[in-house]
Amino acid sequence: MRMYKAFDNFDVDRRLIYVRNIFIFSLSLLVVGLVYFQLVKGDEYVSLASSNRLRMIRLLPPRGNVYDASGVPLAVNVRTFDMKAYPMDLREEEDFDEVAGVFARHGIPMTAQGLKKSVEKQYVAPYRAISAAINLTLAQVSDLVMDPTFPKSLFPSPVWRRIYPGGPLVAHVMGYVGEITRDELEDQRDLHYQAGDIVGKSGIESMYEEELRGVVGDQVVEVDSRGRRLRDVNYNDPRKGGDIRLTLDLAAQREASRLMNGRRGAMVVMDVKDGGVVVFFSSPTYDPNPLTWGISNKEWSALINDADRPMMNRVSGGSYPPGSAFKVVTAAGILMEGVANTKSTVFCPGRFELGPQTFRCWRRSGHGTEDIVGALRDSCDVFFYQMSVRLGADKLLEWSGEFGIGERTGIDLPGESRGNIAGREWKRARFKESWYQGDTVNYSIGQGFLLMTPLQLARVYAAFANGGRLVVPRLNADKKPEWRDVKVSNANMDIIRRGIRDVVTRGTGRAAGGYGVEIAGKTGTAQNSRDDDHAWFVGYAPADAPKYVAAVLVEGGGSGSSVGGPLVGQMLSYLLEYNK
Amino acid sequence: MPFEFNYSWGEIRGGLDRTMLVTVLVLFALGLASIYSAGIGVRTSTVVYVVKQLTWGAVSAVVYVFVLRAGYQDFVRYSYWMYGGTVALLVVLSMSGTISKGAVRWFQLGALNFQPAEMGKVVLILAMSRFCSRNTPNSLKNLFMALAVFGVSVVLILLQPDLGSSLVYVAVMFAMLAVAGAPGRYLGGMVLAGLAAAPFLWGTLRSYQKLRLVVFLDPYVDPQGAGYNVIQSRIAVGSGGLWGKGFLHGTQGRLHFLPEPHTDFIFSVFAEEFGFVGGVIVVALFACLLWRVVRAAFQTKDVRGKLFCIGVAAWLWFQVMESIAMSMGLAPITGLPLPLFSYGGSSLLMTALALALVQSVAISPVKDRFSTLT
Repeated sequence: MRMYKAFDNFDVDRRLIYVRNIFIFSLSLLVVGLVYFQLVKGDEYVSLASSNRLRMIRLLPPRGNVYDASGVPLAVNVRTFDMKAYPMDLREEEDFDEVAGVFARHGIPMTAQGLKKSVEKQYVAPYRAISAAINLTLAQVSDLVMDPTFPKSLFPSPVWRRIYPGGPLVAHVMGYVGEITRDELEDQRDLHYQAGDIVGKSGIESMYEEELRGVVGDQVVEVDSRGRRLRDVNYNDPRKGGDIRLTLDLAAQREASRLMNGRRGAMVVMDVKDGGVVVFFSSPTYDPNPLTWGISNKEWSALINDADRPMMNRVSGGSYPPGSAFKVVTAAGILMEGVANTKSTVFCPGRFELGPQTFRCWRRSGHGTEDIVGALRDSCDVFFYQMSVRLGADKLLEWSGEFGIGERTGIDLPGESRGNIAGREWKRARFKESWYQGDTVNYSIGQGFLLMTPLQLARVYAAFANGGRLVVPRLNADKKPEWRDVKVSNANMDIIRRGIRDVVTRGTGRAAGGYGVEIAGKTGTAQNSRDDDHAWFVGYAPADAPKYVAAVLVEGGGSGSSVGGPLVGQMLSYLLEYNK
Repeated sequence: MPFEFNYSWGEIRGGLDRTMLVTVLVLFALGLASIYSAGIGVRTSTVVYVVKQLTWGAVSAVVYVFVLRAGYQDFVRYSYWMYGGTVALLVVLSMSGTISKGAVRWFQLGALNFQPAEMGKVVLILAMSRFCSRNTPNSLKNLFMALAVFGVSVVLILLQPDLGSSLVYVAVMFAMLAVAGAPGRYLGGMVLAGLAAAPFLWGTLRSYQKLRLVVFLDPYVDPQGAGYNVIQSRIAVGSGGLWGKGFLHGTQGRLHFLPEPHTDFIFSVFAEEFGFVGGVIVVALFACLLWRVVRAAFQTKDVRGKLFCIGVAAWLWFQVMESIAMSMGLAPITGLPLPLFSYGGSSLLMTALALALVQSVAISPVKDRFSTLT
């Protein structure tokens, strides 16, 4: 039956018994071990365990510093002290009175009631140290411990606090740090963090958390029965996190803040070639410092319920209709698809009729005969209405996509918005309606459902400035520049550049000129359902050899030419003239 | 060819070794309790590990039932392919893979970490069952062929470096060769060769591995460093006393004295809280499990089944011995999980798979009886 019965089943079974007996016998040796350790020497180990006076203390490292382009610190650490204790030593009612009394005598406000509450809140386990008081200075600490009545159960523990010397000027870029939340802790797979650790919550602090956080050290100390430290048993140094240098310029941020003057809006300036962001200012802003030091619920809710939404990052997280600033994209589509060339003209009577609908030009009296350069210069709506009907919705959307509209720019900052390219599928999903030609007409002048972030618009103009590279904006100076090419020919690029140069010299954007730098750019006055018109200006300078591109948005600011233009003019002039 | 289950529910009901199944479930439940206890203090939320372990338990249960229906014969039939695949995987892993604590042992599969060394244990046992049942290792030629084919995986695991798993592989191979019929002088020769090679192997060990072996011999060489774990674990076990400190009342694990309490030192956590009585019960449960596994080997007439069962028994035995002895400081720290007990998905799943195959071997005589009746 079986071909391979050289070694009989009987022999196998005999050997099985041997092996099984070895297994069982060796397991009984484990029981002998348990008898020895748990029964014979059990008492000895019980006392060893209860007198186990070793405590592990996690030593949190200072985070890496963050500097601006010229080395000015944007985020640094200062050393403060927390007064810690083990809850097991703070159980008695008198303990709370005693501790609170000592603090109060030394001018640190504390009540027994408040302390008790705080201990209960922080309590995890009796042997896990809690903080009785935080953010003490060295002077306060030495004053306290010199007091002969200072409770021996308390010990000072140095901690690093994060401060942002730039304060509100760089709040949306830097973000802030805070204690890790329960959810964040459970999301972590790498077990790097423990409760009480500080992590980046937003901005650069969150984006570069891994670079900035450093390596946690630990200390094993032997304590006596009251938890007082007797001697160090083991010590592993914490290692400071890595520093980061940004492309941002703090002085230029200050200038942006001065120019925006508390109005709701955004200003962003970026190097046209490598995408390095020089100015990234969202207005109004907030001070991140209190957020890292602990903020009361009342202050917090005041901050997040503020109608002006200071915590919102309008530069990369706010989406707005781009208005006429979008016309460069329509123009690129028209030229590249051969719908028009420099010789094609449209007569603008001030309105455009499409079936029963009438679309008005912003200038009711009309512009007369316009070619593409003139239409950009005068921001003639009718020219783009007509041309977009000829171009068709699909091509228009395709060229929007080519310029990165509807996708994240990829800036190294969390919370970026995609905007909304708002194509056919989107409209069907959102409104259960198909796409009408009227939608195309609205789209051609940056109205309708199209939404863009100021950063996306700056990127589009940078592509015109640098000859066709759609750069990825970056804040980290050490990050390699990245881009992709947009497929617009040099000749057509040149036509559009001429148009937006004329905007500033002779067209709607004259207010941007006159600050000593030659700017090419485009105004935008975007209608929206909730607010007064948004004022836009996006442009680059110097016009013949572009270095910086700037985009400014003022929410409900009114006209792009009178409000947006001067802001960009002054900002670029500051960067190119006074700053060099 | 459509897939067909080889075993009917009736056959499974008739032949299932219920004692073995209940033993497995009790061990898993005790492990869960210990994982819960060990989780306190590691994280603010204590249930994370328990929930993950339960999820893996559910996956394992599904695999278990599937294997019972499919039967071990097909697994043995395709075992050479599986073995070849595993070796290929280990080769790939030695070139890429995620580095965890200095050792490359994991594959990142989406959200899951996957350890080929764990899967390799079952596959090695399957392939060896097939190989040794056809080529009885009672000639030098057959013995060397087996050593050459299966030694490859040991070397690859050793290179990762995963000393613990490679020792499991060696124990499994030795037990299977012994039962398959290698003469005593061959077995003695292999032991001598191993001892002779030890000094060379020592040279290939990483410094942390050497340190672990040294502190095993004398933990007080480095009481605050590598020896710290050994001392603290021994205190945890010893202070459990006769009855233990009670569930969730252990202090050693909770106070972070024990490193990795939910994986490597799970038995220390258990023994601290449930004492000598609990410890003996766990050892007895493992003894019962091994006894039933070997019993399945007796009852089948199929040499492949016999060899498979003894391979699984050797694997479980080695890890139980190592893990429990380690918790008392009687064996060096190797990071091997206590089967069915320690937290860890790959290990649990593969143990369940292996035990399902053993069940299948236990069921097979019943199937034979059914088929002779008809």
